[in-house]
Amino acid sequence: MLFARKRNSLLLILSILSWLGLLACTLLSAHPDLFGPHVEVPGWLLLLLQALFMVAVFAEESTTPDRLRGLDFVGLLRRLVLGPVLLAVAFAGLHLLLQLVVGRPPAGSVTHTVLHTLNIGLFVILLARTNYAWRSLVLFRSSDQLRRLWFCFEALLGATLLLRLFTWTLPYGLGPALLGVLAVFGAYVSSHQKWVAYLSRRQKLEAVLLQLAVILTMATFIFYFLHAPHYPKLPALVIQRSFLTVNAFFAGFYALMGLLVTVFNMPTGRVFEQKREEILNLQRLTQLIQRGQNPQEVYQVFFDSSVQTVNADAAWLSVETTSDEEYSGQYHHILPEQAQAICHLLADYNLGHIEYLNNDLLNSSGFRGLGLPFGSLIVMPLRSSKRQYGALYMLKEPSQSFDRENLSILQTFASQTVLSIENLQLVQASLDNQRVQDELKIASAVQDSLIPKNLPIDNWFEISSHALAATEVGGDFYDFLHLPGRRLAVLIGDVSGKGVTAAFHVAQMKGIFHALMQENPLARNEREKFPVPSKFMAQANNALARCLEKAAFITASLYIIDYEHGGFVFARAGHCHTLYYHSIKEEVSYFHTAGLGLGIIRNDGYEKHIKNQFYDYNPGDVMVIYTDGIVEARGADQEEYGEDRLKQMLERTYYLDADEIKEQILADLNEFSRGQPMHDDQTLLVIKFKASQPEPSL
Amino acid sequence: MKITQQSTENTLTLSLDGELDASSSVVLDTELSKPEILHNHKVLVNCQKLNYISSAGLGVFISHLQRFQDAGVKLVFFNMQEKVHNVFEILGLDSLMTIVPSEADATAI
Repeated sequence: MLFARKRNSLLLILSILSWLGLLACTLLSAHPDLFGPHVEVPGWLLLLLQALFMVAVFAEESTTPDRLRGLDFVGLLRRLVLGPVLLAVAFAGLHLLLQLVVGRPPAGSVTHTVLHTLNIGLFVILLARTNYAWRSLVLFRSSDQLRRLWFCFEALLGATLLLRLFTWTLPYGLGPALLGVLAVFGAYVSSHQKWVAYLSRRQKLEAVLLQLAVILTMATFIFYFLHAPHYPKLPALVIQRSFLTVNAFFAGFYALMGLLVTVFNMPTGRVFEQKREEILNLQRLTQLIQRGQNPQEVYQVFFDSSVQTVNADAAWLSVETTSDEEYSGQYHHILPEQAQAICHLLADYNLGHIEYLNNDLLNSSGFRGLGLPFGSLIVMPLRSSKRQYGALYMLKEPSQSFDRENLSILQTFASQTVLSIENLQLVQASLDNQRVQDELKIASAVQDSLIPKNLPIDNWFEISSHALAATEVGGDFYDFLHLPGRRLAVLIGDVSGKGVTAAFHVAQMKGIFHALMQENPLARNEREKFPVPSKFMAQANNALARCLEKAAFITASLYIIDYEHGGFVFARAGHCHTLYYHSIKEEVSYFHTAGLGLGIIRNDGYEKHIKNQFYDYNPGDVMVIYTDGIVEARGADQEEYGEDRLKQMLERTYYLDADEIKEQILADLNEFSRGQPMHDDQTLLVIKFKASQPEPSL
Repeated sequence: MKITQQSTENTLTLSLDGELDASSSVVLDTELSKPEILHNHKVLVNCQKLNYISSAGLGVFISHLQRFQDAGVKLVFFNMQEKVHNVFEILGLDSLMTIVPSEADATAI
């Protein structure tokens, strides 16, 4: 990098010095007496200085980095024309103008000599800039072979400089022949105009003008140099003529070829541009998916792109909707009534919502009857394998104006659009799903808060509990409530079904429990202050009848333990039987009582299906209350855990603490159902009545 | 779950085969919801091959119970396995529904 910069500045200095030398020599040769004593300047010195100057300028230009930036061909041309071309033409024009105004200048006008030398310098710079700009264009996405050819071309041009330097004339005819070969070479290189294909229509127009400017410049200089030799003594004859001629020829010829190619490319360029437009539109559609826009925007982009691409005179898009607020389509240069009429006509012909191309509408009497000025129609449905989203209709006034190409690009647009829409729906669905998940988590947390965390503690009994839901929210529930007079209400139950609906009913059931277990201020005696379990169930059934869905029901058991009198009363509403260890009899058994689930009969007849069971407990008695998730848990061979296994477990563990009994039962249950999925919520309560201890005196 | 139907004069017999869980109870519900089912005098349910009934399955029978009673159609279960009968009994449904041991008993009703 540093080396390149150094080399370039050296070349720059060399070119300036050689030009100054050239200027001095030219002045001296044109005006030998300018500085007093007569000085004769040899012709070879002039040629050598010229050659040095040209080599320095060309070498500097060839080593500067490529001036072509990306695909900005017009920019390259513009910088060329507005820079060196304009400057060189300005000075050449100035000189010619001066000549016109002053007339034929007196021999030995220093101004003319200086201007002439300046113009030679500018012309060389212009040629270097132009030809290296052409190099960028020729070598644009070129093969290695072309690069080698270009290198030969440069080498041959350099050779012409040397030939002239040694004033060695080739044998007759070979000199012009070499020039001819170089010209043919240049013409061949000029045929490489790949870059033109990358121009848009507007850019092509601009390129044509710029290339015209380059050609005119070359013409100006040829005119200028043809006139220059008329000045006596001007060393115009001793000039590196062949180098300049070949370069000027190449510069002009490449510009001419480029101009012709560009001009002839213009009509076919429209097709190219249309394809480009189609690709860009497709790209826009694709990008919209990634940005996650709404379906309406996707439809609008589809509509605009299609109308623009096909160049339709009129069009409309109809989108099938499920609600009024949604986007239902749009119209372009056609009234909804007219569109409706065409739709009806197509439906009559059984052509609604299928891909359809008609280029001769006016031949159809039905269409003529509508009195619309259109000759061609395309219908492009928007559909996936799953459903129909809508259809796009496009009209053109002349007949035969749509082709298969139009149809295929519209197909691509349509499938891209459907893809976008379905993508958006998927994104929406996954968002919704996420929201449901989040809400389930909240529901789960709420439900968790409904489960009593602090179990009642008293010196008359021990309670241990376990609850595990099969899904985020469960249908099992249990609750405790202290009643006055050293009584405790225990509720356990199970709502049929699972999930959020069941969870709602759980919350409802708890609400009912706390509402019904309030002291009745109108009670006539102590017994009526709180409802007995059967009464509670009847009232709960009544409350639930109106809000429980048809196929849902709830099972529940309510126990009211009176540990002052050492007894309890309970009612079983379709819930699992209560397992009980009787310490007096040293026996484990189930309380087999009748009782119908809640919500099964939804009229006053319920109360006769529920019974109260009274029992006086003894210290050491154990009561095991559970839900069907325990006894219906499946083992390896799909066998159920069952009441018998539960009973056997209590027979083995009744003497332990309530906590330990619970742990042992759960351990046995887990052993039994190891590796099996959990089907239902599991709830287990163990209550152990203890030997009576005197209440601490308050 | 497989449900086979056998229809004689005024009597429809449904034979349930397999497990009546949340998904299969939807099929049963569709069968029981048909209006023409109320044209029968009796609907017999053969539970011989019914291995399991979930609360959703029970819910289906419960939800149609009132409708059948109102239309004067008798709903009778027979050949019920011990395990399944136990489920009906715990929930107290045995007091609401007619459950008999055999097909002969069912037709006799």
